Amino acid sequence: MNRNVFAFAIGLAVALLAGWVIFPRVLYSHQQQPVDFLHKTHAEKSGNADCESCHPFASDGSFAGLPQNDTCAGCHSDKLGTSPAEAKLVDVYLKPQAATPWLVYSRQPANVWFSHAIHVKRAGLACSDCHGTLGASDEKRVYEQDRISGYSRDIWGHSISRLRRAPHDGRTMSDCEDCHHKRHVEVGCFGCHQ
Amino acid sequence: MKVSRRDLLLGTAGLTAGIFFTPVPWKVLDDVSVWTQNWPWIPQPARGPVTTKLAACTLCASGCRMRVRMAAGFPVGVSGSATHPLTKGALCPLGFAAHQLNWHPARLHAVRHHGHAVSWDEARAAFEKAYSEGPVGIVDGHSGRAASTVLQSFVAKHNGNYEVVLNPEEKSLLPYAQWSGVPVNSLGYDLENARTIVSFSAPLLDGWGIPGRFTHLWAERAAGQPDPQLRLIQIEPKLSRTASGAWRWIPICQGSGELLAAALAKILIEERLVSGQSPAPPASLTDAATQTGLTAAAIRELAYAIVERRPTLCISDGESPAIAALNLLLGAVGTPGGILPKSVHPFAMPPASANGKSLRAVLIDSSVPWEYVPPASTEVFRFAAWDGGGNRSDWLLPSPGYLEESTDLPTPPTSAVATYAIAPSLLAPSAETKTAAQFLLQIDPTLSDVDQTIRARCQEIFRARRGTVHTEKPAPVTSFESAAKFEEALRAGAVWLDEPRTVSPLRCSLKEWPGNCGRRAPADWVDLWEPPVLPPLAAKLYQESSLRETPQRSQS
Repeated sequence: MNRNVFAFAIGLAVALLAGWVIFPRVLYSHQQQPVDFLHKTHAEKSGNADCESCHPFASDGSFAGLPQNDTCAGCHSDKLGTSPAEAKLVDVYLKPQAATPWLVYSRQPANVWFSHAIHVKRAGLACSDCHGTLGASDEKRVYEQDRISGYSRDIWGHSISRLRRAPHDGRTMSDCEDCHHKRHVEVGCFGCHQ
Repeated sequence: MKVSRRDLLLGTAGLTAGIFFTPVPWKVLDDVSVWTQNWPWIPQPARGPVTTKLAACTLCASGCRMRVRMAAGFPVGVSGSATHPLTKGALCPLGFAAHQLNWHPARLHAVRHHGHAVSWDEARAAFEKAYSEGPVGIVDGHSGRAASTVLQSFVAKHNGNYEVVLNPEEKSLLPYAQWSGVPVNSLGYDLENARTIVSFSAPLLDGWGIPGRFTHLWAERAAGQPDPQLRLIQIEPKLSRTASGAWRWIPICQGSGELLAAALAKILIEERLVSGQSPAPPASLTDAATQTGLTAAAIRELAYAIVERRPTLCISDGESPAIAALNLLLGAVGTPGGILPKSVHPFAMPPASANGKSLRAVLIDSSVPWEYVPPASTEVFRFAAWDGGGNRSDWLLPSPGYLEESTDLPTPPTSAVATYAIAPSLLAPSAETKTAAQFLLQIDPTLSDVDQTIRARCQEIFRARRGTVHTEKPAPVTSFESAAKFEEALRAGAVWLDEPRTVSPLRCSLKEWPGNCGRRAPADWVDLWEPPVLPPLAAKLYQESSLRETPQRSQS
């Protein structure tokens, strides 16, 4: 191989390696949830397989979000088992009545107003359309946070190139627009931005 | 193998070229743009339960009803509420974004005296000293409110002067008030029953009067119809938004509207097209043609057009006695489809103007537009939520911001049917703010409290047993069990609407055709629309876009 081409190719290869392999690993910080939570196990043991059992809609249609401590305390008022996660949940959060600082994978930024009620009740979307198999899995997911933007990795999507993504992977504005476009839903700027 | 300088350069070139085939530049660019939106000093909406509350806009006297989306107790979004019988869900662009104003950098957080932060006690002592040394004037921007009674009572008790600053819509009604003796804030336009509206540069489709009132009429009866039920003739030098939506646009030379009105009146009288009584105008058709830029035939044709479908109502963009006299001639004063006294106006207060007293000091309420210039040689105490800069004010007194003050909303200007509503306070005002009424009540606690006045007004309306209360389901006043329940409904966002007036005793007498009032017509309506501060939403999406021209742009 021509020496000049070889030198150029080395530089190119280093860039590609750094950009595609090292950059995503450096960009995102990894954080653990305050308490290990197993969606599938909870659904099976509580007998509540539907998402709304723990993530209900309020009477006015607004989404209640994550369950509060009193919901958890319904079963975990005392320790169930001897796992460290159980002890932490009861001793650190439930008994002192301190809010559990869950890391929300799909939290939208503050300048976006997202209505679960409109998407679920009116448009008839299933929870899994956006959240994938999160509710049916016991995977202890690591929360990955973009070091520059501060957003969860779920917003950009797990594929750094945004190519060949799963249908529910990524919640950027262009993902919202694509979905609305496919469903022929017209939403102006102020439909989402407050 | 020895690495040469050339190898390094080529390797760097490969590195540089390769980086563009990775996500690095694109992702970093995206992330940095997001990062700049989240700098710590940029206000962020609070996280928390999202609720929706009914409220009323208090930026002007129209009192548009709106739904406010609240997150964690803070307003984060505003939309119109279709339950308002007059606005029908419309909001002006400023009101649409006004919830952002409370975070405006120009927000006043402390009392300022000549630019220096001082205490409320010092301001109060200065005002007490001022009114002990001579008469004080109080200037009000929204007369008729419960708070206005406090201002008026104070000046009555302390031999002061009460002045009301009128908006352009109210000024257009001034000639009728002068000729009939009816207070200007007791007059209104019966747009709903007019069949032809002749607008002399009034921006009817651009927020004139009450936002949504005329645009709804126009949408229902005129838009897109070749022969509309409601004819809008726009006489204006410029192809404004109203002119472009009008049935006919008559372009005339700047400042010749009053002369055209006189010429039209002359033709109507000479050719016996009307039966109304009015002195003959001295204008000649030739002069009018020269100054307006229209031909004499076009003016004659216009005269025939305006009386073709009656009732015909002429509207000016400010005080214009000649256009008011044309209305008198057309029989549009005191008749349906014209200028009517408000159905009931229990809280009307004759707006006193400056009565020649030499004032020691002037107190300006926060409802007064920022461009109001106080009399010279007086000590000025100006209440404002935002520092608009420029105008002379010795004392700047911070008043509650948007949605931070509970106030009542009497009938908006230009409405011929009385309304009453209460704008609730959705946010607790910060400790350092006071309204002008609260300031005066601290000085003189014997004055009637604003809440007491609102309660008394609700009882007065309830006792009269007239009209309808507009909520999701309109209900007659008679369906309420007590005045307290009626007041409770108003505080929860309902609007009381009186029954339309059937008899309209409005007699105007005019001995001679009025001369030009001397008012310099603005080059454009936007000259009158210069709020001291703008929310970012309005600034970016409205004023900086072609949707609304700024005065500077219209002059260029």
